[in-house]
Amino acid sequence: MPSCVERPRSACALAGALAAMSALPGVVPIVHTALGCGGNLSGSFSLGAGYFGSGYCSGSSLPTSGITEREIVFGGADRLTEQIENTLDLIDAELFVVATGCMTEIIGDDAPSVVGEFEEAGKPVIAISTPSFLGDSYAGYEILLEGIFNYYLKPAPEEEKIPTLVNLFGIVPAYDPFFRGDLEEIARLLRALGLSVNTFFTPDQTYENILSAPKAGLNIVLSRIWGVDFAENFQERHGTPYWITDLPIGPEATDAFVIEAAEKTGISNENAKALIKNENEIYYGYFERGADVFMDSDFKFYSVVASNSNYAIPLTRYTERELGWVGLDTYVTDQLKDEQKEILKSAYLSGGPRAELLFETDASQISKAIVKRRPENRGQRYFDSVSPLFILGSALEKKTAADRGAQQLTVSFPAFNRMIVDRGYAGYRGGLHLFEDIVGSLVYPKG
Amino acid sequence: MRHYDQELPPVRDERLNIGDAYAGNACGLVDCSKSGCMIRNNRGFWQTVACQMALSLMMAATVENAAIVLHGAIGCGAQMHALGLASSRGKLVRGKTPGQPVWVSTNLKESDVIGGGEEKLRETIRYVDAEFRPEIIFVVVTCAPSIIGDNVEDVVRKTQDASAAEIVSIHCPGFRSRVVASAYDSFYHGLLRHISFEPEPYRDYRPPAPSDPQYELEVKKYEYIKNHTVNLWNATSIGPSDEDEVVRLLTALGLKVRIFAEYSNADEFRMVSQAGLNVSLCNVHDDYILKYLEEKYGIPYVIAGMPIGKAATRKWLISAAAHFGLEDEAGRLADYEERLLDDAIRPLLPGIRGKRVLLGGGVVRVGVEAAALSELGMDVIGVRAYHFDNNAESVYEDVAETLGETPVSVSNQAFELVNQIKEYRPDLLITHAGSHGIVAKLGVPSMQMFSPEKSYFGYNGLFAFLKNIAFALENPSYQKRLAMHVKQPYKDSWFEKDAFALVTEKIPKKI
Repeated sequence: MPSCVERPRSACALAGALAAMSALPGVVPIVHTALGCGGNLSGSFSLGAGYFGSGYCSGSSLPTSGITEREIVFGGADRLTEQIENTLDLIDAELFVVATGCMTEIIGDDAPSVVGEFEEAGKPVIAISTPSFLGDSYAGYEILLEGIFNYYLKPAPEEEKIPTLVNLFGIVPAYDPFFRGDLEEIARLLRALGLSVNTFFTPDQTYENILSAPKAGLNIVLSRIWGVDFAENFQERHGTPYWITDLPIGPEATDAFVIEAAEKTGISNENAKALIKNENEIYYGYFERGADVFMDSDFKFYSVVASNSNYAIPLTRYTERELGWVGLDTYVTDQLKDEQKEILKSAYLSGGPRAELLFETDASQISKAIVKRRPENRGQRYFDSVSPLFILGSALEKKTAADRGAQQLTVSFPAFNRMIVDRGYAGYRGGLHLFEDIVGSLVYPKG
Repeated sequence: MRHYDQELPPVRDERLNIGDAYAGNACGLVDCSKSGCMIRNNRGFWQTVACQMALSLMMAATVENAAIVLHGAIGCGAQMHALGLASSRGKLVRGKTPGQPVWVSTNLKESDVIGGGEEKLRETIRYVDAEFRPEIIFVVVTCAPSIIGDNVEDVVRKTQDASAAEIVSIHCPGFRSRVVASAYDSFYHGLLRHISFEPEPYRDYRPPAPSDPQYELEVKKYEYIKNHTVNLWNATSIGPSDEDEVVRLLTALGLKVRIFAEYSNADEFRMVSQAGLNVSLCNVHDDYILKYLEEKYGIPYVIAGMPIGKAATRKWLISAAAHFGLEDEAGRLADYEERLLDDAIRPLLPGIRGKRVLLGGGVVRVGVEAAALSELGMDVIGVRAYHFDNNAESVYEDVAETLGETPVSVSNQAFELVNQIKEYRPDLLITHAGSHGIVAKLGVPSMQMFSPEKSYFGYNGLFAFLKNIAFALENPSYQKRLAMHVKQPYKDSWFEKDAFALVTEKIPKKI
């Protein structure tokens, strides 16, 4: 099997950084590439992440050096300097981030030294290195975080630290298409515990939230993989400890999350339990009414999950624990190193799942694997077929499901067949949303 | 034939006088293009636009039974998900089998950038050929392998023998041209070098036996049909209803019509050479391949604007008909069609007359639409062409006649667009996909200057176009409400300046 990837579910590091910046208040990118990179990449996530769209200065408003063959030959530093000058002149922002791409990295343009001159003059400009050959969009998110939080922001003096302030990291804008709803739900719960929360990437945030990040008492990384190294470096620079945990989806996972979050932040166990009690009352107040349609309509399924390393495990857990589905396969679709796979495997197994954890990036190989591992009935009289089957995956799994006669809901990137605004699947509210969307997809053909 | 013999396609910048920064009027624009001042123009500030690679992919994605190998790092294919969906829809509405094309990235890493990506490309082509069994494999060559010097043509040659698919390379690294229209040439260069345009005996036709008493008649009959066959050259911006409209008009003149190159397959491509005339639907799309086909097969071609609006449609139709000596018939057909159309559009005209419209998008279409709408009484307050090259000069000579004093710019830049909208406060923007969100946030209604889902061409198209304009003008509440709550990224000082204040000479003056 060659190292090529069929229909990749993530773009380059630059795309990950651009997607994140498009949701980050006060931060505007300057793309140091050919003219088309920014357009190509913005076009991808502004559509593919549930029609995420473009924000303040993203999409076709993105400033770019737009280098040409001339700069490939003679170097792009002059063009970049001119572009930064004019961007500072034209665009209203608190921080400008020069992000490089393949061609400017290959020709050896020294963006940090170009930016250095502006920094010395007191201009808020930094440079990050985001060529595609160094990493995908998940990596790009982390490279951006490194640039802003671990390079640009100065450590806060000890007396300014706020122990009850928490930063949320690990959910990757756009490539986790529900990032805004998820961040808001996690923040809602933490705030209910009495904490202050920086989500950074939701519309309620301002540049002040970014500036306050070094004062935080804890970083919560809602990912086993993305943002972990960053949090370690953050701790080194700012002295802020971090806690790595899975994104909790549904009440059982969220109960555990709330208890542990309280523990980590010095909130009393009683407060946590009171919150859990209250939230469960609300959750089950809604959820119990769904039992009629859920059971009367036989909405019990075998399930396959195909999603990224942030979502695949929590989703599997939700379907097995909250819905009582019989998990078969869980495909993690991002490109991971072997040690990252090991981390996920051990995190996964600790939850005691039924489904097997597999790593596969290609839609056609996932489709093939499902068929191979769970043969279909070829006309045998007695055949224990895996049916009914539900696939929680990306829009790429729509065809896989149709070919197999399975149900499908798009819950990961690329998500072209649904619009995602403030919806999330994290927490209690998110658990209800996921239930609503799953049952909704099943009853949609009625009427 | 010089470009055609090269392994790599030229970019527009090499073979044409080209530009993407200008402000003035149509007459000045044509002068600037002819005198060469166009190529000197530049900007001191740029915002991102489309990549010629994305447009190349868009074209390749429409070809039936094809797979795409994206030779580059993993990010370059980012837009293929969306392009694949669009091409699947395009196939469906043309009666072809819908479905997204398979595309595979060679996924170049740092070690490949240092050590070369040829081996990965070879492996990926073999994998795609064996796994998916396509008829054609497009190898789309991006920036990274172009800079590091991968010899893609050598890999293509060497893998071709063992491959069931035809392998077609498309060289379209974004850095080689800021002008996206270069993609047309890159795509056609790949086709004309790697795909057969000639029918094969016993596969595509049964050769008549010379001993057959009908032999000469058969040959003459075939020649007659062939000489009365028109190849039309489409593009993604041209939808099936527009194709239907121009086919209807040419068929009414007794001509047979085939459409290339999008939504064709390998079998259909072999018929390209079997035509009496090639007719372009847009001056900047296809001169590269039409000139090749003239050199190679002696098929003449007609490039006569875009058939949008009464005058341009008549001109286009008569130009195509002239080759067959059918000018009079074409003129009478246009008279007849215009009579029917005039009755149909009469009730629509009061609603659009005098409305102030700003148009932006592809150079030919935007000029032709502006002239058409001006003829019908709309107040065209500005024309923004995304790029300019000599192929568009004739179109802008026409624009200069109708809209001599109207501001005409060459700009695909959002900051200039926003400045113009703030200054002119148009009633309506007719603009390229990708800019409507920006326009809406300024409180101005807008509509698509092209859409494969809508009609624009010929007489049916003009009626639909006007209806859609009237519809777009109705109830702009969404835009007005949105604009009240959205902050612009530009400093106020930008709006005190001229929209084209940052158009500069090519060589940066300072530094």
